[in-house]
Amino acid sequence: MSEPVTETFEAFKNSFFYGSRCDLAFKFLKNLSSEEAGEFFRELIENLGRTVDDGDAGRLVRLAVEWQARAYAGEGAGRWTYEDAPFAPLEKPVRDSVVGLLTSSGHFVEDDDPEPFGVKHMTQQEACRRIKDFLKAPPTLSRIPADVPAEGLRVRHGGYDVRAARADPNVVFPVDRLRELEAEGAIGRRAGTFYSFVGACSQLRLLRDHAPRWAELLRDEGVDAVLLVPV
Amino acid sequence: MCHVSVGHVARTIESAGIPTVAVYVKAFEKVARKMRLPRVLLTPNPVGRPLGAPGDRERQAAVVRAALELLETASEGGMVREFDEPYRPRPGHAGKG
Repeated sequence: MSEPVTETFEAFKNSFFYGSRCDLAFKFLKNLSSEEAGEFFRELIENLGRTVDDGDAGRLVRLAVEWQARAYAGEGAGRWTYEDAPFAPLEKPVRDSVVGLLTSSGHFVEDDDPEPFGVKHMTQQEACRRIKDFLKAPPTLSRIPADVPAEGLRVRHGGYDVRAARADPNVVFPVDRLRELEAEGAIGRRAGTFYSFVGACSQLRLLRDHAPRWAELLRDEGVDAVLLVPV
Repeated sequence: MCHVSVGHVARTIESAGIPTVAVYVKAFEKVARKMRLPRVLLTPNPVGRPLGAPGDRERQAAVVRAALELLETASEGGMVREFDEPYRPRPGHAGKG
């Protein structure tokens, strides 16, 4: 007979963070103390019980959002804390400006896979398993022609729950929304190329080698303002 | 970490003379504030859905509009504005893992 396996609650809640129960929507459980995580599960079950009767799942969504915020509330920017905020004024109204888009969501055009670490067709699961490798490596910027519709995009990112970004890239990479805003004249025009990268990367190399080049790239393309969306 | 990455990109691009606006979910408000980004719009959304739920075109567009408006109205760096409309999940639009 095998020994019964006992797992502590601490180990259980932490297993959602890149462990045996890895779930990027709930990896925040590791940031909570065991007492707090216990309270989260209690509230989840209580609200689930109510939902059985009235079907109002909105309260479960609110619960998830509320606990994500609680879990990440302590998360500052570590050494990347600054006193001053840079500021470049917009020189003409948005309706006359060329607007660019850059996100850390890990989107790319189908058939233009950035192939991290030389791996072809890397799956979301593998990206998740190799998160530590991503965090040490320099970022790769994917070029996305602004005319490619959302259906032509793919996403892979080992740092966040990509289900929504896959179902509808516009939840974080608003390519269709910007096209519509251009058509109605709310923006002058879209930049010819939009960009995305996997934000889980070496911060030093991003800051020192890559971000300055990206700024040059945008300037060379005549972009007047950039919409940035982190995930 | 992604939220810090985009913070670096925002500060670098803005310092090179191109105005930026970043849309953060409220869970990462502290990162955006500590990094003193030029212009930030905060949305009360779940992580991974900063503009709105899949299929909620109206709200995605409203968030993008509010962000673009901040580009025009901000008069100094470090502006943080909140987008208050609640997140609305849309039946039938769930993604797969």
